[in-house]
Amino acid sequence: MGNKPPFGPSALDLDLSRRDVLKIMGYSSVAAFLAACSSGTTSGGSLTSTGGTVTVGSNASDPLPKKGMEMVNAAFTKANGGTVVKLNTVDHGTFQDQINSYLQGTPEDVFTWFSGHRMRFFADKGLASSIDDLWDKVKGNFSEAFATSVKGNDGHVYGIPVDYYPWAVFYRKSVFADHGYKIPTNWADFKALCVQMQKDGLTPLAMGDKDGWPAQGTFDILNLRLNGYDFHVELLTGKQKFTDPRVANVFSKWAEITPYYNDGLAGMTWQQASQLVVQKKAGMYLLGLFVSQQFKAASDADLADLDFFAFPDLGTQYDAEKALDAPIDVMMMTKKSPTLSKDRGQANAYLQFWSKGSAQLIASTAAPGVIPVANDTDTSGYDALTKKAVEIIKNAKRITQFFDRDSRPDFAGSNGMQSFLLSYLQNPKGDITSLQGKMQQFWNSLPPEA
Amino acid sequence: MAVLAAATRSRVRPQPLRRQLSRAALHAFLVAMCVVWLFPLAWAIYEALRPISDTTLNGYLSWPSGGLSLDNFTTAWTQANLPYFYLNTLYIAVPGVILTLVIASMLAFAMSQFNWKFNVLVLMIFTAGNLLPAQVIIIPLYWIYLNTPLPDFVSDNGLLYDQYIGIILIHVVFQTGFATFVLSNYMKTITKEITESALVDGANVLRIWWSVILPLCRPALAAMATLLFTFIYNDFFWALILMKSGDKRPIVSALNNLQGEFFTNYNLLAAGALLAAVPSVLVFIAFQKHFVRGLTLGATKG
Repeated sequence: MGNKPPFGPSALDLDLSRRDVLKIMGYSSVAAFLAACSSGTTSGGSLTSTGGTVTVGSNASDPLPKKGMEMVNAAFTKANGGTVVKLNTVDHGTFQDQINSYLQGTPEDVFTWFSGHRMRFFADKGLASSIDDLWDKVKGNFSEAFATSVKGNDGHVYGIPVDYYPWAVFYRKSVFADHGYKIPTNWADFKALCVQMQKDGLTPLAMGDKDGWPAQGTFDILNLRLNGYDFHVELLTGKQKFTDPRVANVFSKWAEITPYYNDGLAGMTWQQASQLVVQKKAGMYLLGLFVSQQFKAASDADLADLDFFAFPDLGTQYDAEKALDAPIDVMMMTKKSPTLSKDRGQANAYLQFWSKGSAQLIASTAAPGVIPVANDTDTSGYDALTKKAVEIIKNAKRITQFFDRDSRPDFAGSNGMQSFLLSYLQNPKGDITSLQGKMQQFWNSLPPEA
Repeated sequence: MAVLAAATRSRVRPQPLRRQLSRAALHAFLVAMCVVWLFPLAWAIYEALRPISDTTLNGYLSWPSGGLSLDNFTTAWTQANLPYFYLNTLYIAVPGVILTLVIASMLAFAMSQFNWKFNVLVLMIFTAGNLLPAQVIIIPLYWIYLNTPLPDFVSDNGLLYDQYIGIILIHVVFQTGFATFVLSNYMKTITKEITESALVDGANVLRIWWSVILPLCRPALAAMATLLFTFIYNDFFWALILMKSGDKRPIVSALNNLQGEFFTNYNLLAAGALLAAVPSVLVFIAFQKHFVRGLTLGATKG
């Protein structure tokens, strides 16, 4: 513009007055302005857009997961035309405590969360955006169980599954080898092994339930094996009653192994109880894969000695389901983010990026203990423990999310099921009927969830 | 002390033994209480000096086999980004304490040095405000914060929500009642003649407050500053509800960064907690004299 035209105005034979020039400049700047306005949003039929920014609220505050998140974000920026990812990391405890006020306030565009009731709850409250159109593009990369896990009660999709981990019975290979123990596959063998361990001076089963939730893992697996997936899910969402005789069966079955727990379980955290296994004082521990972090804290040799097996069959028709708790973490889109209307295309692109095995692998490699869920994940680099975890979940026909993710939080929490299970564990031979009555009474006393 | 003891001894005979016994009992009691109070702290220091692998393999009730080191302290310092969060807390605590003291001392001055119709009523309202638990008003407060627009130069999102200024304000609001109550009790011990003679000398009310009353209240102000600093420093609640940005949070929440989602390195956490407690302890040591005096503030006149 500033350059002199080679032939002067006469060459084009334009007789522009100063006012005309100003007018043209005015129009063109309006056009440029309009173009600039629209460039940030999704244009036409395209679901995703490049450049711009996306904001992310993250609960990945532990050093390794945090690093993994930052690495994925950097990879996304590179892959998506320089989209700037503004990350708000809040420690996971606080993140969970304030999720309600967070989502109603000025949340980021995308946030880290959990599948199960915890996801559906916020979808029902209108605090999460459905991502059906995006899901259509990426669903081919997920198996049926994961697709089910991200559906809201209204049938819409609300999240992208990014990782998960299984619950199983953990043990030390060296302890089993030294005593010649065999992996029990049915209830009788399992109990026989407990008896044998006791004879050998070991605490057969470790349990630390000070925080209330670890015992819920045992309740889950017993209920799944005895009464099946459908009953379990219905029970936890109030469609079945806790006074049901099938629930009584769970507790009487459980009572067959409670004598094999360590003493003082009500005052021990899961970490203290898992130290019993690390120190070879206890033989087995039903817990999530995260128990490996306790072994890693001891030494790499201890970690290499850690192994696990699926909870034994109980001889019911539901054994075939091979169901287990395998909590899934998801990435979701908020509703009330002040920037979402501007960033929607980038937010879609960001979620799409997380749906790839390559992105999930970056995160899980940086922070071992969780497993990618995408079908196209390169599994060749998995360690033995992860490979086995994938195997055990592949065999499962049904996956649950864990009691406190499948049920409403106020019921699962410390005033509810956590305290009921603790009082059960303190007196497993006590009056179960009255305990069941208390559970149902507590459920009935809860206000409608909305 | 020795002279005194000697004097009593010479006066009455059977007392020395009894007194010595009671002194010994007193000291035994004090030493026992010291041990009881210091034990958790000493225990925390001991575990903070041990690596996690040591306590995982040998339990917390064991002698150190992995050696003692300051590694946990340096890790906590960097991993929880403590210097950054110390500053965050200072951004909130320093303006909060100063503002509270300014407002509360003005109020206390007006209510203790002047006779006007409603001064007792106003004092009662401020005192009653202390009794209101913060949790009661949190939901309306949350919506107020979310719907109060602020100009861009004081708020980066145009709201009172998620801002330092919002947290400072709520601290000032909640602490002013208590501070006013304490300061007005202290100011009542200052004779009104001082104010009156200053008035006669031609000083206006603000001048009297600043040049006459505040210097006289220095011990009370120092004690209040120590208390307020500790209160605000330890607060976790307001930032939890009224802030969403992880990088604006106060120091107390930085400790949460040291707690894993599942696995927590308690030795590291102990080191972090000890480090986080340091500023409070420093402030206490600096103002110790006033702090102890502050405990009995207003006890003489109510």
